[in-house]
Order: sequence, then structure tokens, then C-alpha cells
Amino acid sequence: MNFEKVIFAFFIILALSLNFGFFVGDMNDPAHHHPYELFAALIVSLICTVMKFGDRTQFGSTVLASSLVADLQLIAATIIWGVATNAGATAISPDQMASITSLAGGALIANLLSVILLVIETSQVRK
Amino acid sequence: MSDIFFLALRRLRAPLVLLIAVYAVATMGMVLIPGEDGNGNTWHMSFFHAFYFVSFMGTTIGFGEIPYPFTEMQRAWVLVCIYTSVITWLYAIGSILTLVQDPLFRQAIAERGFTRAIHRNEQPFYIICGYGETGELIHRGLSRLGLVTVIIDYNQARTSSLQLQDFRYAPIILAADGTNPQVLLKAGINRHNCRGIIAVTEDDHTNLQVAVSSKLLNRDVAVLCRSEIEDEAANMASFGTDVIINPYLAFASRVNMLAHKPALHKIQNWLINQYSPEHITEDRLPLGRWIICGYGRLGKAIANNLDRENIELVIVDPDPIASRAPESTIVGRGTEAKTLQEAGVNETDLIIAASDDDANNLSILMTARQLNPDIYTVGRVSGQHNQVLFKQAQCQYIMRRSQLVANEVLTMISRPLVSRFVKYSGSLSEIDTEQLIDAIGGLTKNRDPITWRLGLNTVEAPAIADHLSTGRKLTVGDVCNHEKLNHARCIPLLLLRGGVSQLLPPTQTELALDDQLLVCGGSRHLLLPERLRDNNELIDTLINRNRHHIPLLRWLANRKG
Repeated sequence: MNFEKVIFAFFIILALSLNFGFFVGDMNDPAHHHPYELFAALIVSLICTVMKFGDRTQFGSTVLASSLVADLQLIAATIIWGVATNAGATAISPDQMASITSLAGGALIANLLSVILLVIETSQVRK
Repeated sequence: MSDIFFLALRRLRAPLVLLIAVYAVATMGMVLIPGEDGNGNTWHMSFFHAFYFVSFMGTTIGFGEIPYPFTEMQRAWVLVCIYTSVITWLYAIGSILTLVQDPLFRQAIAERGFTRAIHRNEQPFYIICGYGETGELIHRGLSRLGLVTVIIDYNQARTSSLQLQDFRYAPIILAADGTNPQVLLKAGINRHNCRGIIAVTEDDHTNLQVAVSSKLLNRDVAVLCRSEIEDEAANMASFGTDVIINPYLAFASRVNMLAHKPALHKIQNWLINQYSPEHITEDRLPLGRWIICGYGRLGKAIANNLDRENIELVIVDPDPIASRAPESTIVGRGTEAKTLQEAGVNETDLIIAASDDDANNLSILMTARQLNPDIYTVGRVSGQHNQVLFKQAQCQYIMRRSQLVANEVLTMISRPLVSRFVKYSGSLSEIDTEQLIDAIGGLTKNRDPITWRLGLNTVEAPAIADHLSTGRKLTVGDVCNHEKLNHARCIPLLLLRGGVSQLLPPTQTELALDDQLLVCGGSRHLLLPERLRDNNELIDTLINRNRHHIPLLRWLANRKG
């Protein structure tokens, strides 16, 4: 068992599960989406991206690309959140919540793709 | 670029992950720990504020506690955060600096720059493998001719010394092993503007490898090699290396020519050494008794190629058995008077110091001169800086291997017709040679002549091509000589027609399109063919006897006539 591979898979799957945890619930209900979860999802996604750096194979570049997509969407979501909660208004409006959730949904797809690619690569390893 | 970028990111993976983790934990802590607002109410920092605070905390500690003064709990946490984030930053910056100084990383950057320079270059270029003395001389010559050079040498010190020098055309340099086909491909061997490869490393086998790989990668590219061992040279020739230069053989044949056909040597020397003169005497070498000190590659080449008529050869070598010298060899280095006297230096006419050690060669020549002031001295010098010592010692003929190779290579590249002439000039008779010397000497007033090539095609000589395509005649004499332009006279040396060369074409030979004519003359003025090639009026005046193209001029000329 390769410890580095464990860490790699751990972060990729953690990113997906955190992202999913944030995404589930009513689209526009702020009570269903906690900012801590979004924060954790973003941090884990960033770490995932760094872990994927430097693999020059075709597979590695696709995984890196999907990870960058997830980062981009999550960063956009947090920026909306930051603007929504700090620009005068204290509570987040349902409209803003909906756009945050849909961005997180996009990131979820990208993270899902990463995990699928990981599974494909694992299945190709010959014993 | 992308390779370097990802290489860098890969090496920075650990510090980057650590940095993200520390920032995340610090921000999370700031959000979780309760604070107090101005009225003593419990207040939680939002993620936005926490991230803002953590961002400036790591870099500019002392910005202040915002938006409200911190509680004791918050301060304790900030303390922890300050130390961890500063240490993490130091670690990350340290990693980046280490990466930048890493030789592998630098090599990657240098290779990237090299590849880009090759791709951006649209001018014709030559690849030189091996930047020793020979490589340097060739590079200088090519740069003077306005050709771009790509230099490959595995020795980093030599390639970096190149970057400090000024050249008209800066070379494209790579410190890498030229025997590696990948390196040759990177150097652009397959590019349309690659004219040829010049392999001049110190090692014959390396040159051979470069030649093999070059010919396999691109059949059409010209390969010029230095080779000092005859086996390797034969090997190189077997797969189509275009030019193989053995400096020892070349030098041996020159010595032989200088002893037996000095006139021919004089002509060849005039034509080859136009850019960087070798120190060569123009006198005939005295026949009689000769001593060769050192029976290495040079000594053997001279002994084997020398026409022994009227020459008695004595060989001196410190280890005749190892060097397989003939039995009559005198044992010794030749640097001490005893050995030289044993070899009969007092009755000797000429001594050749052919060992590979400059100091020994100098010592041989000076000792011989002391014992026999009339002796003629020939010396081999290896280091460029030692040449001045040999000149001081009044050595009459100095052989410098690197310069000989460089001159041959440059002549072949820049003046292929001259190379042809030199190659076939051995077939000239003694009388022809003497006459040619007199003719050239008369023309240049005994200065060194210059050579010029006339290509009879529409691009290089539009006026002459016009003249020929209208069906009118033109002879070699017409373009070389005219009584009205006496100072522009020149001597035809070689006529190349359809791959066949004719030495010293007679003046009545008629020229045809696509011929090439090599002429030589004095350097003071433009030569006649040089003036004729693109000047329709001059052709009309000199050759067509005033039958002008332009009607008005024709009428005027007729009226005058």
C-alpha cells in the first residue's frame, strides 16, 4: 500500500463528500447550507489541486483540469457569500443563496468527475 | 514553458499544501472564537473578516485589531497563528529559492530558452559540436560570414564563458552531450535552414557518433568531421560523412608539398588562409637530412606521407617500441643535446618537433638551433597562447592543429570552389604552377590575392544572364580581362559546369548559363566579373562594342564612332 496514494484518494473523495454535504437541501434556503461546510469544501478542493500538480500524463492533466474547475466555482460561491453577508445586509437573500448553491452544484459535478477518473485509473492497475 | 511550470509546482507541493492548511486553520479559528463588540455583546467574526485579518496578519503584523479590540481568547489564538504562519511562509519562500538554484531546474530553463531560440531563428545556421579552440575559430569565422551558429558542448564552463563574449551574431548555446540524438533534434538538425553539422570535439569517437546520428536523422544535411585516427575516418566515410579532416594528414601533405612542390603550396596557402593566416613559411623546405622528434600521430603521418627522394629521415622517440617506430629510431625525447647529437643534428637540414607537449617542442627547437644555427625548424603547437613563444623562438613553420582544421572547414563552407581548386590542384604541372604564381604575383603586386565566384544565373548575375540568353557569346577572357579596365583584371582559376570542374580554363572557353567561375585578383578594386554581373550598360560598352540596349545611347555611340 502506497501512503501517498492513500492521501491523494482521501483528499479527492473528501472534496466530493464535503461539496455534496453543502449542496444538499433546498436551493434557496440559507438554513440548509452552512458557511463552514462551504469553507471546508473550498479548502479541501484547493489542497486537492496542489496534490495533483506535476503529473504530466494525459490522465493527470484531466484530473487537474477538473479540480481547477471545482476551485473556480467554489471561489465564486464564497465571493458571492462574502458580498451578500457584508455589503450592508446581514441576512442572505434567497436569490443569492440559490446562485451560491448552483455554483456549488457545478463544483460537485467537477469533483464527481475527479472521483470517476480516480476509480478508472485504479481499475486499470494490474495486480 | 509548461514543463518548467509544472516541474516547479510539483516541487512546491508540500509548502503549498502546508500554506493552505495553516491559512484554513487560522481563519477557522478566528471565526469560531467569540469576540466582543463595542457594547460588550458576544460577536462572531464572519469568514470574510477572518480571512482578511489572517491575510494581513501573516505579512504585516501590527495592522491592528479590527473591527473591535480582541478578547484574551482571540489574542491567544492570534499569537499561535502569527508564529505558525510566519514559519510556514519562510518555509515556502525557502523552497522556492532552493528550486530556483537547483541545477536541474536551471537546466530545464536553459533548454527551454535554447529550443525557443532555435525555432525563432529563420536564418541559415550551422551546428558546431564541441567548443574547443577549433570550435571557437570556426564559430568566429562563421559569425564573420554572417551565419548563425548553434554550439553544443557538454562542458558547462566552456559554454558559459561564451556568453561573456561579444559576437556580431550571438551563438545559440546549449550545454549538453552532442552524441545524444535528442540533443541534435533540439538543435534543429531537421529544420529547413540547417546547413550542416561540424563535429570538432577532442574525441574522435564522439565525432564519429555525432556523424552517425546526424546522417541517420537527416540524410541531406552536410556533416563535417575532424578525425585524427584513420580507422575512425574510414568508418565515418563509410556512411557518407561529407567531409573528414585529419589535421595530421593535411599537415603531412603540406610538409611534403613544401619540400617537393613549393609553388603549388604557395598557391594553396594563398587561397586557403584568407581569413586567419597560419604561420607558414613560403620558402622551399631544404631537402637533405631531416629529424622528426616524436613518433606519435603527427610524426607517423609525416614519415608515411613524405616522398623520400633526396630526403634522409631520422626519427627520435622516447619509447620506440610502444610507438612502433622503425628500428633505426634513436631513443630519447630530443630535448637534450645528447640525443640530438646522436641523431646527427650538426649535419641536419631540418628538424620537426612533433610531440604533443608544447614545452618539449620548444626545448627541442631551441636546443637544435644552439647546436646548429643553420637548421630549419618546424614545430607543432597545441595551445593558442603558446604560439607567441614559438614565434619568439624563430620557428619557421608552426603547425597549429585547431587553426588548420578551422581554415579548412571555413573554406569548404564559404568558398566551396576554392576547396575544389585546392583538391585538384595537385594535377597542375610544374610549369603551369609557376606561370600561375607569376600571373597572380604580377596582378596583386605580390600581395595575397582574393578569390571571387561568379555564378552565371539570373539571380547572381542578371546582366550576364541576359546577355547569354539572347544567344550572344561570352568567353572566359571577356569577363576576366579588358584593355579599358586594366585595374579590374583577374585570373580564371576554375570553371564548374554540370559538376565537372576544369582547372585554369583557357580564355577562349565559352561560358554558358549555370556555369560557375572562380577567379582571383588583387583586392584593391572590384574585379571585372563582379562589375559586369549586374551592369547591362557595362556589358554593352565593353563586350557588345557599343551596341547599346537603349536607342538614344546607341544613336549617340554610332554618331561618335
